[in-house]
This record gives sequence, structure tokens and C-alpha cells, in this order.
Amino acid sequence: MAVKIQLFGQLKQITGTSGLTTDATDTDGLIKEIAGRFPILENLTYLIAVDRTIIQTNTAIKEGQELALLPPYSGG
Amino acid sequence: MNQKIKNIFVTGAISPAFIGEKIAAHQFKTEIGGHSIFLGQVRADKIENKQVVAVDYTSYEPMAMEQMAAIREMIIEKYSLNCMHVYHSLGKIRSGEICLFVFTSAPHRKAAIEACSETVERLKAELPIWGKEIFEDDSFQWKINQPA
Repeated sequence: MAVKIQLFGQLKQITGTSGLTTDATDTDGLIKEIAGRFPILENLTYLIAVDRTIIQTNTAIKEGQELALLPPYSGG
Repeated sequence: MNQKIKNIFVTGAISPAFIGEKIAAHQFKTEIGGHSIFLGQVRADKIENKQVVAVDYTSYEPMAMEQMAAIREMIIEKYSLNCMHVYHSLGKIRSGEICLFVFTSAPHRKAAIEACSETVERLKAELPIWGKEIFEDDSFQWKINQPA
């Protein structure tokens, strides 16, 4: 199962990609995978959105979900 | 939730003419007694001797629009507004140009003013939008929102 993840803002700029895929089965696994693939992101904070809602605790990742990594907002 | 999802995004700067047209469109809503308008303008900050010449805005648009619809519904109900309009720029907005337009209308001024203020604070904190500050020499840094 590979689920697509969208990257935004400085995460997109630093990694040089706007999208990744993951085989992680939950969001804690995803965080570990991202840290392993992109050590450069170590000091960056980000939130995870699952189906356009910010998750607060470890959440199962299911096929067909819309995942996104969101750095701190700076709109307006 | 069955809020109406509105597109709040405008490509490029928000023009004074567009703002004027939106005001004029309310002339026939005669139950309104007060409008409150907030306009966000790109500031030419000087950071380590380099001047910001533009901010390049991007967003996770579907999520931002859903979040804004929820904020909008909550604020309209809380302040009994007649209406609310929100527009945010995407793309490169030069310093001095308008990048945010929040427009609230109510029968009386206090509700319109407070609703406008709360909407601005909430959208800055809750909408997935990112601003990249671009300097004269094309270098950049990611914008950080101030508490107020």
C-alpha cells in the first residue's frame, strides 16, 4: 500500500518535491520515515493533515487518504 | 457539515477597484448598518540590510477553503452578520500591494468590527497558507506571522 503525501511551503522547497509516497501504516511511522529520508528536516516543525484535518495523535494511514505535511502557517 | 465552500483565493494582488466593486455591491442590502474592512498589505521589511520586495503566497487550497468555510459559518452566527467576504492572494505580491481583504457587514458597527477582527486573527492562525519573503537580490526567507 503506497499512500501519497503532499508537501507545502518550506518542506516542499527544502526537499525539492511537492509529493512523496509512503508505506507507513500510521502517522508516527510516517514521521520516522520522513526523518530518515530527509535528515535536513530535523529542526523543522510541521503538522500532519489527514483528509484535510490536522491530526493530534498517532493515526492509522489507510489507502485512498489525502495526506499532507504542513509547516507553520504564514498567510495574511 | 454542509457549509458552502467558497473560493477565497485570487491570483495576484487584490486591486483597489475590486475592493470598490465589492463595497458597491452592498448598496442594495439596506438592512446593513455597518461594514468593517481589513486590508493586509505586503510590508517592505528590512532584514539584515536586505529589503523585502515581494511575498510569494502558496496554499493547500482545498483545506484552506474548507477551514475558511467553517470559520465563516461560526463567525456569521456568533455576530449575526448579514454577510462576510474573504479574499487572499496567491502568487507573488509586491510590497505595497494588497494581499488580504476581509469584509464583514452587520446591522450595527460593533458586530461588524469585532467579527472582522476575529476573522483576521483566525485565518492567520488556522489557514494553511505560506508566504515566502523575497528580497531585492532574489534571496528569500519564509515569513513568520507575528502575534498581532
